Amino acid sequence: MHSRHADWEALSLRWVFGALAAVAIVFLVAPSLIVILTSFTSSYSLKFPPEGLSLRWYAALADAHQMQRAAWNSLLVAFWTTLISVVLGTGGAIAIARSRAVWARACDLLFMSPLLLPALAFGFAALVYIHLLGFQPSIPFLVLGHVIVCAPFVLRTSIAALSQLDPALLDASYSLGANWWTTFRRITLPLIGRGVGAGAFLAFMASFDNVPVSLFLADARTEVLPIHLWQQIETNLDVRTAAVSGLIVIATLVLMVVAEKFAGLTRQMR
Amino acid sequence: MSKSITRREFLVAGAAVGTVALLPARALAQEKQLVAATFPGTWNEAHREILAPAFRKRAKATVTQSIILAHDQVSRLTAAKGSRAPFDVAIFDSPQVLDAVKEGLIVEYPAAKSPHFKELLPQYRDKWGPVISMQVIGIGYNPKRIKTPPKSWDELFDPKYKGRVGLTALNSQLGIAFLAELNRINGGSETDFEPAFKALKKLLPNVGAIGANLGAYATLWQQEQIDIAPYNFNFVATLSGKGVPVALSIPTTGAVGWHTSLHVVANAAEPDLAVQYIDTHLDPVVQAEMMKAPFNVIPTNAKVKLEGAITQSIGKTHAELARIRGFDWSKLNPQRGALIDRFNREIRL
Amino acid sequence: MKFRESQLALPLAALFVAFFVAPLAVLIGLSLSGEPELEALSLQQYVKFFTDRFNYSILWSTILLGVKATLVCLAFGYPIAWICARSSPRWQSVIVFLVILPILTSVVVRTFSWIVILGRHGVLNKTVLWLGLADEPLDLLFTEFGVVMVLAQVQLPLMVLPILTVLSRTDPNLADASKALGAGEWRTLWRITVPLSLPGVIAGCILTYAACVTAFVTQTLIGGARLIYMPLHIYQQAVGANNWPFAATISVIFMVAVLLVVWVLNRLARVSRGFTHA
Repeated sequence: MHSRHADWEALSLRWVFGALAAVAIVFLVAPSLIVILTSFTSSYSLKFPPEGLSLRWYAALADAHQMQRAAWNSLLVAFWTTLISVVLGTGGAIAIARSRAVWARACDLLFMSPLLLPALAFGFAALVYIHLLGFQPSIPFLVLGHVIVCAPFVLRTSIAALSQLDPALLDASYSLGANWWTTFRRITLPLIGRGVGAGAFLAFMASFDNVPVSLFLADARTEVLPIHLWQQIETNLDVRTAAVSGLIVIATLVLMVVAEKFAGLTRQMR
Repeated sequence: MSKSITRREFLVAGAAVGTVALLPARALAQEKQLVAATFPGTWNEAHREILAPAFRKRAKATVTQSIILAHDQVSRLTAAKGSRAPFDVAIFDSPQVLDAVKEGLIVEYPAAKSPHFKELLPQYRDKWGPVISMQVIGIGYNPKRIKTPPKSWDELFDPKYKGRVGLTALNSQLGIAFLAELNRINGGSETDFEPAFKALKKLLPNVGAIGANLGAYATLWQQEQIDIAPYNFNFVATLSGKGVPVALSIPTTGAVGWHTSLHVVANAAEPDLAVQYIDTHLDPVVQAEMMKAPFNVIPTNAKVKLEGAITQSIGKTHAELARIRGFDWSKLNPQRGALIDRFNREIRL
Repeated sequence: MKFRESQLALPLAALFVAFFVAPLAVLIGLSLSGEPELEALSLQQYVKFFTDRFNYSILWSTILLGVKATLVCLAFGYPIAWICARSSPRWQSVIVFLVILPILTSVVVRTFSWIVILGRHGVLNKTVLWLGLADEPLDLLFTEFGVVMVLAQVQLPLMVLPILTVLSRTDPNLADASKALGAGEWRTLWRITVPLSLPGVIAGCILTYAACVTAFVTQTLIGGARLIYMPLHIYQQAVGANNWPFAATISVIFMVAVLLVVWVLNRLARVSRGFTHA
């Protein structure tokens, strides 16, 4: 009697949570699927299910010169942002990961704060700052702005990876006569490589997708893809937006599978 | 150990690829790039589909067309005054031209460098920049739900349209023009907008949605969230071309409109390309192409014979078009900010 | 060697000071400037903000929006994390993958998908009508309900991951002990699991809340002109009206409001950590 009651209870909890979780996962994944399916429509309207199937809107992307240029700008900025974030972020992570000093905690807070402060406010502040210094928005400044909001990702995963690193290994290396750089290159880096890689991947995606900072630091001459798409959605009912959205979803999926294989992405996020 | 070497090599290879990948970017950067402003909706599409390819063929340069409302263009140009302008070609409606000239934001149009300029009808040859089209507003309506085309702005106030009337925010010319026309019909003038706001407040129970911008406005039509609203002739044509149920009716009080013109911006990065771009827009071939469905852009080049939807709804000859009523923008402009502010506060759902 | 290691933080710290702290300081300075001469220090802009009901209501509705969206995220996110923590490692990877996928996809793309879904002829309305839940298509676009719903989906991963992290690290023996002592599953959940996972829940709430209130793209695309929140207000004042001092003021107030909520939640987290050590 008692055990059956417990069984029902266990089942009920599992069912309720299971149902909620299932709904939530559908909630998470369905929109991307729907937009991909809608992009295969042969008509001008964004109806789902699509009326007629065709690849015409994907073909139309070949003529979308401005969109291609914006995509290229985004890739360029994301590449440089990731590079700088990884180099500076890994260094920062090593410096503060195992230290309990006050300055280390302060640095940690400082480096993480872009994730908590509204990025839009920072973007605007950066614009004001640049103008004060007498400059105009340009790609280098855009990259710097992105580094501020993307480096925290590299830091987070690198610090997590470093905290898993057994200091005994490093001690062993030093006691065998290796200097700091050799130890770093042959022990530390390979062991935290996956963590850094996952962070780099996240930083890249965050930069490619960034809107709040790009809104202020990217102007018409340095148009980036998310802003271009946002403008298009706000002003047109263009199905080409669905096509490029479909491409972005698929590209993200592919990149994620790659990141999972090389850097064990899902393990880094848990 | 071998795994770490592979990963390191991977990183090095990646960096090398990245550096190499940047080289074409430099090459791309060498090709000249013009940045031109454009309006949302029909304008953006017409410019992208027709003007950009024609320009590219003629000048062997690319153009980035940035969607910015006229009022915002003036803001950005004012903010960048003295340094390099954020875009090279500005597109203004009649009101903005006055402000821009006063603030020194645009330069006189070098007509000598523009072969098609003299082909324009005389009233469109402005020394600050040629008029490329006229925009006309009327009563937009969903022909599936409203069988007889509305003939008067008063029909918006009809209780049977409760919750089905659309409005657009005043940041667009459409909004301001509608406000001004509503004002005029109700006895106001360019200096007294009280009648307009009184009328809008009376309209409020009927209003179902206020579009933040023209794109959101278009969505309202597509989603059939509104049945009747003031709308722009060009935009109606584009939307109905995409299968959205919307048509335009010119009220008996007459068509209302304004000019739209292109200008070379002061401190432009590419002034010569800017002139070529504008001249391309004056080309009768380009204008004839834009006059066709679904853009229905009203041409200003005398060599273009009017045909299509324009002749059915607006006017059959250039002379008729010239008679479309406008407003005294020099009186209206100074109040714009206050009008927008008041609208945002008082006309809210 | 330790000395040398700490120096590795210098480049990043220098960048942050030069390009993060300095701009924020400039922003605060700008917000304290009076019109028309931007030289004098004055609280004029702040007074202007708080004395106008319009501004005040925007701030309040933004905070409220964040709270609502966070609660929805919690309601859906906790079950996902709970189920995931109890799944086999293979399923865990799959679920985490599915959870991360949205957050890595462009926010513009995801919001755009919702415009397709929420329209009057969209999937949701078609389903609702087909199920007979309503006679007329629902107006979901340009409503606060729509914004909350889309925000919840867009930011859900931020809630799931921290909770999952904590739940994975929770000692399963504790739950087993509770059941061995006769408590049912639900009771175990309420008295043991939830309190132990509270630090993760609060971390998730902090991240989700911070992301929801600053979600410019989602708020503008789904909310439209009727629903103005702080991000759009800042953008309109900065770029549209060119009123930089006032835009700076709104930005500073916005930052303070977000930090305040985060600080409150952080204090709660500190209290809740007491549960694990009690």
